[in-house]
Amino acid sequence: MSIRMLNPNAEVLNKSAALHMNINAAKGLQDVLKSNLGPKGTIKMLVGGAGDIKLTKDGNTLLKEMQIQNPTAIMIARTATAQDDISGDGTTSTVIFIGELMKQSERYIDEGMHPRVLVDGFEIAKRATLQFLEKFKTVVVMGNEPDKEILKMVARTTLRTKLYEALADQLTDIVVNAVLCIRNPEEAIDLFMVEIMHMRHKFDVDTRLVEGLVLDHGSRHPDMKRRAENCYILTCNVSLEYEKSEVNAGFFYSNAEQREAMVAAERRQVDERVNKIIELKNKVCSGNDNNFVVINQKGIDPPSLDLLARAGIIALRRAKRRNMERLVLACGGEAVNSVDDLTPDSLGWAGLVYEHILGEEKYTFVENVKNPYSCTILIKGPNDHTIAQIKDAVRDGLRAVKNTIEDESVVLGAGAFEVAARQYLINEVKKTVQGRAQLGVEAFANALLVVPKTLAENSGLDTQDVIIALTGAHDQGNVVGLNQHTGEPIDPQMEGIFDNYSVKRQIINSGPVIASQLLLVDEVIRAGRNMRKPN
Amino acid sequence: MKEIVTVQVGGFANFVGSHFWNFQDELLGLASDPSGDSVFKNNALNMDVLYRTGETQQGTLTYTPRLLSVNFQGSLGSMSSFGTLYNEVASTPPDVLTWTGNVSTHASEPRRRNLFLQRLYEEERDSLTQENAINGGRNKPQREIKDEDIVEFLENGVQYWTDFSKVHYHPQSLYEMSGLWMGAQEFDSYGIGRDTSWALREEISERLRFFVEECDHIQGFQFIVNDSGGFSSVSADFLENIADEYTNTPVLLYAVKDPGSHMIPKSQKQVVSKNLHDAVSFSRLSSFCKLIVPVGLPSLSRSKASTFLCIEDEKPYHCSAVYASALHTISLPFRMEPLGPSADSCYVSGAVDIHGVVEILSGQARQNRVIILDVAMPAPSLTGKQVEQSFLGNLQTLTPEISEDVEDLQAVESMTIHGALGSGGRRAPISEVKDMVRAAYENVMTKPRFCNLSVALCPLPIPLPFPKIFGNLVSQHGELLGSPVVDSPLRGSLDVHSIPLAARLRSSSAVLPFLENRLGNIRRLGIQQGAAGAEIVRYWGYGKDELEDMGETLSKMVLELDPYSQMSSDSD
Ligand SMILES: Nc1ncnc2c1ncn2[C@@H]1O[C@H](COP(=O)(O)OP(=O)(O)OP(=O)(O)O)[C@@H](O)[C@H]1O
Ligand SMILES: [Mg+2]
Repeated sequence: MSIRMLNPNAEVLNKSAALHMNINAAKGLQDVLKSNLGPKGTIKMLVGGAGDIKLTKDGNTLLKEMQIQNPTAIMIARTATAQDDISGDGTTSTVIFIGELMKQSERYIDEGMHPRVLVDGFEIAKRATLQFLEKFKTVVVMGNEPDKEILKMVARTTLRTKLYEALADQLTDIVVNAVLCIRNPEEAIDLFMVEIMHMRHKFDVDTRLVEGLVLDHGSRHPDMKRRAENCYILTCNVSLEYEKSEVNAGFFYSNAEQREAMVAAERRQVDERVNKIIELKNKVCSGNDNNFVVINQKGIDPPSLDLLARAGIIALRRAKRRNMERLVLACGGEAVNSVDDLTPDSLGWAGLVYEHILGEEKYTFVENVKNPYSCTILIKGPNDHTIAQIKDAVRDGLRAVKNTIEDESVVLGAGAFEVAARQYLINEVKKTVQGRAQLGVEAFANALLVVPKTLAENSGLDTQDVIIALTGAHDQGNVVGLNQHTGEPIDPQMEGIFDNYSVKRQIINSGPVIASQLLLVDEVIRAGRNMRKPN
Repeated sequence: MKEIVTVQVGGFANFVGSHFWNFQDELLGLASDPSGDSVFKNNALNMDVLYRTGETQQGTLTYTPRLLSVNFQGSLGSMSSFGTLYNEVASTPPDVLTWTGNVSTHASEPRRRNLFLQRLYEEERDSLTQENAINGGRNKPQREIKDEDIVEFLENGVQYWTDFSKVHYHPQSLYEMSGLWMGAQEFDSYGIGRDTSWALREEISERLRFFVEECDHIQGFQFIVNDSGGFSSVSADFLENIADEYTNTPVLLYAVKDPGSHMIPKSQKQVVSKNLHDAVSFSRLSSFCKLIVPVGLPSLSRSKASTFLCIEDEKPYHCSAVYASALHTISLPFRMEPLGPSADSCYVSGAVDIHGVVEILSGQARQNRVIILDVAMPAPSLTGKQVEQSFLGNLQTLTPEISEDVEDLQAVESMTIHGALGSGGRRAPISEVKDMVRAAYENVMTKPRFCNLSVALCPLPIPLPFPKIFGNLVSQHGELLGSPVVDSPLRGSLDVHSIPLAARLRSSSAVLPFLENRLGNIRRLGIQQGAAGAEIVRYWGYGKDELEDMGETLSKMVLELDPYSQMSSDSD
């Protein structure tokens, strides 16, 4: 898909033309994304020129797949994907909110109002809305044992906007358990400690949580066991390969013997390192039938593999850097950078290690660990686009849970916040504002309604009716969101529809900033201009 | 056998790579062609160095380049980023298994396969159906697409590097950067490359790890990068990561420039920006590799390297073919089986791995790692007495901004000659080639301090999609004729089937102007008080300290080659 609403060669346009161009671009991007929103939104299948398929219901992914050329649209897209980088959700809402702010402004501007006045109103409305959010949010206290039910509700809300219900519900437990697994109340949650691994599997769509680690490679020696129980795990970053080249032309060494000697000496050093590992293995495994697994970030060459295999050790090489950390969190022990001071204390433990092979792809499962602080979500799907879409959803779910724990609050969804905030702005804030900036507040307030309106539209409901019903019910003192099946007001609390506080907050914050920049434009920004470029 | 992992970053780098892999694919094809020339059958070159063996989930064995290619989204033309081998037959339209609500499909205009790719596709399909046919001996299917038409089409129709690629790639090989929202023009800024997301870098590194993990004894990385714009900074970050993760694995880096990037800048500001770019880009790239070989002349067509070629500079398809040929030649010793110093096979001689070449060129008297690439394309026949006098003069540089006649007693070289022809157009035996080269070096005034020589019998095969760039003095086997072939001024893959080639890596003070230009520019435009480009580099994200470090690095490089350099000390 490409958005091309202006001639990219027209570098500078006059103010009014520029302004309208910005408005049109914002509306154009809104048009593309709005059908995404909510659990009744439309999933998009993008088929590339060479037949590659991408499947997405996520604003962020969709934007990244689009070949956007319009500079204004690029600016909005950057804001939206930044939203995703920071809080992990809310890209679609950001785009449609910015589009709506521009749309609402257009009316006033066409009537001759100066954009500056609107922008002033936006600023007032933004601050008021943020304050209102503080009152409106639902506080959840996280202590040592977070309320799992609320975490599940937030995760489910987000997942059901990306996957069909049964699949979303299956994933809900998985993402909540994954985050609780890695959570250490003393530290910030590092979602990288949840590995997301996938397998292409003909018929299956299945996802499961592995308490432990799944690595995307296996041992590289035919004699090593494919399955072992009661395993000591050595996590290390030690080169177990001969690295110097055998220079054969003989110009660096006066004779062949000298060269041989060099090679032999180098080899000996590698072997010594391997032997230290074997010694440790013999020490901890003598007199029991425990196993010993080496997972190394550096290389292990065939002679070293041979030695290890002969000693009954399973060895994996070139593990991901990040898995060094994960392994230690999952299995215990420590990651060692040298074999010089190996002790049994450096070792971790896993009840089961086994290999799984699919075509040329190998996986190693490190499972049945004690007290893991790292885990893996394993996604199976029949093709890459299905896997990729589930992966995106899992990431969203994980972020939602993490946000909830860190925010210690959530916000009622299904448009409830937007309706309430809009009424607050119109009924309370607007009258306190001097002069025409009032109209900016009004435009902002109405723009908020784009969320419930779009949710209604995507459910095939009449947006006018819905808004009247919602604002009416609100004014009678209820907190109401949209029932997407009937169009009736519902209590999102009862339905368990919750959004992240930090996501909402950021949408409210960034939307008006970009809209204001676009309204106060003097001349059109040229494509590709970097946002940190000095002017 | 010691594996090489190849990395290609950027548009032109992938053009070069595409030709490079076409040569390999052609060699593989010729080796298994029962009616082919015997010189290709037993070439004593181990292709496993560059290729990996794999298996699809259906159990089909595959043999694909050990390659990671990075480029823009949309730069693959009609090729799918998953390659062609590992695809299952997809249901059409594919089912959506994750969503029960509405689905909307947005299909881009399908990219039609061009004539050449159609033909590849048809041949493959035919060979499959033939294998499946119970009673063989069916008539060979009539070829609808003629070779002549393909060659003509490619001459003017190449847009993407995939347009002329005959190679099957692994699904992990082709990485497209998405979400940049800019085309090549906008990406042509160093700073923009620095802005690429961290997630993207992580994904690239993961792809690379996939290929490295498989290697039992990796000998090094062969890295081809666009030395222009954002790709250069993306590459520098990537290289930094590699240096960190695979510390002892040497990187042989080709920094390639397409002729387009030599275009004369329009404004003063562009001049400043371009000069600074070249300095910053080079300084960063060179700090994360063992050898850096700048490749790409402002005008290849008018250079001496094109004496027997007819290049159109504005066609990346043309220029990249020449550079790829030289890269191919340089890579030959890396895949010769080492036999020990005295033993020579009759097919190859002088196996050296990447580490060895690094030691030869930068590990001896001088630590210089900026290397000149020379080529003789095609290499002259080894006949007549005068060849000993003239042979070395045929090697012409592909590295820009170097001085021609320098006497450098400390120079070190590594030369590879393959497919050389002797008298009567027969292939010259290895020993004859070695003797000739030895004699040729005896004849020059200033001998290099050291020269390593590798020789292979097997010439460069010219695959069908190779451009029509040979002049009319080049014969079918790459022999240089005394008088031109009359019927056509330009000769391509239909007329020339293979050529002998000589290429050389050279560590020499001839590269000083290249270094001094960059050092001068970084000082004058970036570091000095009120420098014209101070703003630009700041926008790229570099502070004064970092620039000074870069200046320092460059000045050390200069000093290495010229201990008495005037530029060694800072002028202020
Ligand atoms: N069951 C539901 N009924 C009504 N509205 C819902 C329901 N579940 C979620 N929503 C609403 O859907 C909106 C979120 O939709 P969605 O996740 O598609 O978009 P987004 O979060 O803005 O962007 P993205 O997830 O694409 O980055 C929120 O406003 C949320 O309150
Ligand atoms: Mg969402």
